[in-house]
Amino acid sequence: MQTPQFTHALRRMTLNLLSALCVALPTAAMAQTPVRGGTLVVVSNPGEPAVLTAAFNQQGAVAAISTKLFDGLLHFGENFKLEPELATHWEVSKDGKEIRFKLRPNVKWHDGKPFTSADVKFTFEEVWLKVHPRARSTFAAVESLETPDPLTVVLKLRNPSGVILSALNSAEAQILPKHLYEGTDIVRNPWNVKPVGTGPFRFKEWVRGERIVLERNPDYWDSGKPYLDQLVYRIIPDATARYAAFETGAVQYGVLSPVSINDVERVQKNKNLQVEYRGYEWLASSNVLEFNVRKPPFNDVRVRRAVAHAIDLGAMVKVTARGNAKPGTSPVLSTQTRFFTTDVPSYPYDVKQAARLLDEAGFPVKEAGTRFAVTLDWLPFGESYLRYGEFIKQSLRRVGIDVTLRSQDLPQFMRRVYGQNDFDFIVTHRAGFGDPQIGTDRLFWSKTIMKDVPWSNGSGYSNPAMDGLIQAAHEAPTEERRIEYYKKVQRQALTDIPNFTLMENRMYTIATARLRGLSTGSDGVYESLKNAWLAP
Amino acid sequence: MTRRTQDVHSHRQIARAVPSALHPVSKRAPTMGWLAWPLSLQFGLLLLGAQLFVAAAAGWLYPGDPFELAGAAFLSPGADPEFPLGTDIMGRDIAAGLMHGARVSLLVGLSATVIATLLGTAIGLCAGYFGRWIDHGLMRITELFQVIPHFLFAIILVSILGARLENIILAIGVTSWTMVARLVRAETLALRERDYVKICTVMGGSHARVILTHILPNALPPVIVAASILTALAVLTEAGLAFLGMSDSNHISWGGMIGASREALLDAPYMTLIPGAAIVLSVMALSLIGDGLNQHLRKGHGK
Amino acid sequence: MAGTLNDTPAFSGVDEEGVSAATGRRQRLYVLTRVAQMLPTLLLILLTAFVLLQMAPGDMVQVLAGEAGGGSPEYLASLRQSFGLDQPLHVQFLLYVRNVLSGNLGFSFRNNTSVAALIGARLGPTLLLAVAGLAIALLFGVGAGALAAIRRGKALDQWIGGVALLIYATPGFLLGIGLMLLFAVKLQWLPVSGFADSYGVEGFWPYTQSVARHLVLPALTLGALHAAIYARFTRGAMLEIYGQDYVRTARSKGLTTRRITVRHVLRNALLPIITVVGMQMGSLLSGAVLVETVFAWPGLGRLAFEAMQQRDFNLLAGLILCSGSLVVLINLAVDLLYTVLDPRVSHQ
Repeated sequence: MQTPQFTHALRRMTLNLLSALCVALPTAAMAQTPVRGGTLVVVSNPGEPAVLTAAFNQQGAVAAISTKLFDGLLHFGENFKLEPELATHWEVSKDGKEIRFKLRPNVKWHDGKPFTSADVKFTFEEVWLKVHPRARSTFAAVESLETPDPLTVVLKLRNPSGVILSALNSAEAQILPKHLYEGTDIVRNPWNVKPVGTGPFRFKEWVRGERIVLERNPDYWDSGKPYLDQLVYRIIPDATARYAAFETGAVQYGVLSPVSINDVERVQKNKNLQVEYRGYEWLASSNVLEFNVRKPPFNDVRVRRAVAHAIDLGAMVKVTARGNAKPGTSPVLSTQTRFFTTDVPSYPYDVKQAARLLDEAGFPVKEAGTRFAVTLDWLPFGESYLRYGEFIKQSLRRVGIDVTLRSQDLPQFMRRVYGQNDFDFIVTHRAGFGDPQIGTDRLFWSKTIMKDVPWSNGSGYSNPAMDGLIQAAHEAPTEERRIEYYKKVQRQALTDIPNFTLMENRMYTIATARLRGLSTGSDGVYESLKNAWLAP
Repeated sequence: MTRRTQDVHSHRQIARAVPSALHPVSKRAPTMGWLAWPLSLQFGLLLLGAQLFVAAAAGWLYPGDPFELAGAAFLSPGADPEFPLGTDIMGRDIAAGLMHGARVSLLVGLSATVIATLLGTAIGLCAGYFGRWIDHGLMRITELFQVIPHFLFAIILVSILGARLENIILAIGVTSWTMVARLVRAETLALRERDYVKICTVMGGSHARVILTHILPNALPPVIVAASILTALAVLTEAGLAFLGMSDSNHISWGGMIGASREALLDAPYMTLIPGAAIVLSVMALSLIGDGLNQHLRKGHGK
Repeated sequence: MAGTLNDTPAFSGVDEEGVSAATGRRQRLYVLTRVAQMLPTLLLILLTAFVLLQMAPGDMVQVLAGEAGGGSPEYLASLRQSFGLDQPLHVQFLLYVRNVLSGNLGFSFRNNTSVAALIGARLGPTLLLAVAGLAIALLFGVGAGALAAIRRGKALDQWIGGVALLIYATPGFLLGIGLMLLFAVKLQWLPVSGFADSYGVEGFWPYTQSVARHLVLPALTLGALHAAIYARFTRGAMLEIYGQDYVRTARSKGLTTRRITVRHVLRNALLPIITVVGMQMGSLLSGAVLVETVFAWPGLGRLAFEAMQQRDFNLLAGLILCSGSLVVLINLAVDLLYTVLDPRVSHQ
C-alpha cells in the first residue's frame, strides 16, 4: 500500500535523478577531451591498393592510406582554407611570380633522417614532373624550384599561377624521401610498399589480400598526436559484406562511399554509426557523359544538345542515386565555389526540343521508331555506372535514339576510349581536384588529346576559342582574372558541349559514432586522422 | 596407349553420376508410355515445361522492354496490383524481368550445352575410335581444359571477348565439354570392341559409317544425362558470372537481376530472392530430368 | 555382359599381400611416366594463358595509368618498355618460360611484389578453405548419401534427396550471402568476413581460434554445394553395389546388414567417390572465386580474377601454373590411391 510519504519520497527521488541527469548529460557531451589509444579498423575501398605512395598513383584506395603516412606542404580546412602542414608559412610575391614556403623545423622521416627542402626539390623534379599524372600541367608555370636553405622552398614562376596553392596537399603533391628514392626507378622502388614518410602514422605491415597495419609515429612533429595507437586496414571487396562489417562493428571507418547508397539510410538510423558528407569538396566527384566528337552522329553539336535535353537529370538523380547527388549544370561543380558559375547555357529536360534538334540535324524518325543507333560504354568502376547507362538508354529511347550498352573491364575500356577512340559516347567519372585547372582543363584542351593516356581528352574536342581561353587562364596576371577566364571556359564548354556533367556526387564517410575528431576540411576524405580519437 | 585408371572406373560411374533423388516407380512395364516414366522425370519435365511456357508467354504478357523504368522503385511484391512481384532498384517490373529472363537463362543454358555436347562428343568419338596418337593428343587437350578451373576459364574468356550474350554462351560451352568428352571416349572404347562393330569394319564400312550408325547411338544415353547436368551447371555459371558483373546489360537475365539488386540486398531482399528462386527451380527441374532420364534409360537397358 | 570390373568387388577377401611386391616397381614406373607427362601439359597451360592474355584488349600499363589517374604518353611508353611489353610476343613468352624453369615466377608490376610472394601469401588460406570445404562435403555428403542408400525408399531418403537437390540448385554466392546475413549479421555468432581478426590476437592459440571462426561460413558454403553432389553420388554408387551378386552372397552367408554395408558396400563405393573428388578438386582450389569474394577470403581464386582484370600476365600465369600443378598432382595421387585400393587395376 502506498502511503503519502512513499509517493512523496518517490517523487523526490525521481526529481533528484532527473536533475542529476540534467547535469550529467551536458557534461558528457562536453567531455570532448581526446582519449589516447585504441585501434581503428578501417575498410579499404574499393579494394587493395597497388602501392602505398600517392606521389604518382592517385587511386582512391592508395591515397586514402598514403595520406596517413605522408604529410603535404599544406592541407585544407573548411571552405578550401589553406592550413599549414609541412609548410608553416607561405607567401606569394606581389607580382605573383614567386611563392616562398617556410618549412617546419625538426621534422623527421620515419627512419629518423631529417626532412629538408632537398626532399621537396627532389620530389618536385624527379617524381611530380616525371611520373605524376597531373603535376606537369599543375606546375606548368614553374620555371625552377630553389632551396636557399634546408627550410625554405622558393617556386619561381614564369607567370602568376593560382592553381599551385590548390594542389599542395598530401594526396595531390606528396613528398618522398630523397635518401630512399634518389637514383632509383621511382615507380618500382620497393619502398613504395613499405613507405617511409613524415606523417602521424608509420608503416607496420602489409599482409597481402588481408590487411595493412599502420602504427603511431612516436616522433611525429605535432607532439601528442596522433591519438590512435594503430590503424588496421581491412580489404573487403563486396559492398554488402562491408555494410555487414560496419553494422557488427568489425570495421569502424571508411571513406569514398564504402557502403552502397541503399544502405546509407540504414546507417543513418543506426545509433552506433555516423555518416559524414563533408570532406569531399576538394575531390569534386561527378559523373559525366562524354561524346566522341570525331565521328557521326556526335560530331554534330545539335545532336549533342539534343541528348542533353533528353535526359531528365533530376529524375536521374532520384532513380539512380536515390537522391544522393545533385543534377550537374557545369563542368565545374557547385562546391568549387570560387569558380562555379550558373551563367552558362542550360539544357533543361525538354523532349520536344530534343526531337526538333535531331530533325534539324538530319536524323528523322524512321519506320521502326528510331532515328539512329549508338553504343554507350560505361566505366567499369562499379554497378552504379551501369545504372546510369541504363537510365540514359531509357531516356534516349523516348527521342528515338537506340542505345546499346557495352560492358567490359577497365583495361578494355581504357584501350577502347583513349587508345582506339572506338566509341560513341561514354558515361564516366571525373574528379575535380579542387581547381578547374587540374580537373577540368584536360577535358577541353586540344593539348590534352593524348593517345592511349587514360583520363585525357578522350572526346577529341578541339576548339581554338576554347584553347585560347584556357591558355589565357593559365597566364592570367591575377587570380581574379584567372577565375574570370574559367567562367568563360564554362560558358564555352556548355555551348560546344563535347561532354556534360550528369550529376555532382555526394560521397560520404561512414564511421562508428565513437570516432571523434574527424576533419571537416575540404579534403577531409584524405585526412591524416591525426586528430581522431575513439571515445570509450 | 595409356589408359587413365580413372577412366576405367569413371565411365560407368559418371554415367550414373546423378542417381535418382526420388524413388522410382519400378513395377510398371515400360510400354505404358509417359506415365511409366520415373516420378523425377515427370516432375522435372513439368517444371521445365512451365519455364518454357513462361519464356514463350513473356512477349505476350509483358510486351515491351523489361528494362523500362515502369514504376516507382522499391515497390514490394503485392503492394501495387499493377506490379504483382514488385519493382526493383530503378523501378523496373520484376515480373516482366522474370519472364523475359526465363528466355535468356534457357537460351544460355541450352545453347552452351549444345556447344559443349557437340564438342565433347566429337572429341570423345575421335579419341576413342581412332586411338593412338589422335587419342593421346586429344586427351592432352582435354586435360588442359580440365586443369584450368571451369569458372575461372569462363571468366577469362568473357573478359577477353566482352560481356555479350553470344560470348557468354561460347565461354560456358567451351569450358564445360570435358565431362562429355571423357564419357563418350570411354563408351566408344568399350563399344569399339563389340562384335557387330568389328563385323561392320571387316565388311568394309567406312569409319564415318561405323561411328555414326553403331557407336554414336549406343553412346548417346549417358550423354543425354550429362547434357541435362550441363544445362543446370550452365544456368548456375551464368548467374555466377552476372554476380561478378559479367552479364549482358542489354538482355535481362535472372543472374543479371540478382547482380543489379546486390546493393539493395538488406533493404529489399525480394529483389534478389525472386530471381534466385527462379534459378533454383530451373536448376532443380533440369537435375530432376537428368535423374529421371538416367533411371529410365537404365531400366530400358535392363541393367 | 560378364567379366567387367564392376561385377567383382575389390574387397572380397582376396589375398592382397602377394600382389604388392610386383606392383611396387610398376607403381614407381607409373609415377615417373605420369610426372613426365605432366610437363608438356603444364607447358601447354602456360602457352594457353599467354595466348589468352594477349587476346585480351588493353594491357597492364593501361590499368596502371587508369587507376593512377593518367600520365603522359612518354611515361606510358617507358613503363611498357620496362615491363618488356614492347618486345615481340614469342620473345616475351620464351623469356617467361626460361624464368619459370629457373624458379623465378616473375614480378607483379601492379602489386609491386614478386609473384611467388603473392601466391605464397594466399596459398595457405586457399588450401585451408579447400580442405575444410572438402572435409565438410565428405562428412555430410558421403554420410547423408550412405544414410539415404541404407534407408532407401523411406522418408529419410526422400528428405535427404530433396535437401541435396535444393542445395545443389542454389547458386553458391546466394547461399553464402544468406548464411552471412543469418549467422554473422542477425545472430552475430560468427564473423562477417576475412581470414582472422584484424588485431588483438597475439599468440598461437588465439590466432588459430580466430581463423577457425572465420573459416566456418566460407567452408560451409563451399562444402555444401559439393556435399550435395557427393550425397547424390554416394547414394547411387552404393545402391548399385547393393544390387550386385556378391552382396547377395554375403547376405545369404548370414552377415549382418551393418557388416555388409561397411566392409563391402562402402569400401567399394569409395573408388568412384574418390574419382569424383579428384575431378572436383580443381574447382575447390581455384574456382572458389565467388565464395572468396563474398567472404573476403584471401584465396587464389579471387587473386586470379583480379589478375585477369589487371592484365597481370606474370601473376595470372603463375596462378594457372600453380593450380594446374596442384590439380595434376592430385589426379596422380588419386590414380595411385586407386592402385592401392583396387589391385585389379593394372598400369598399361
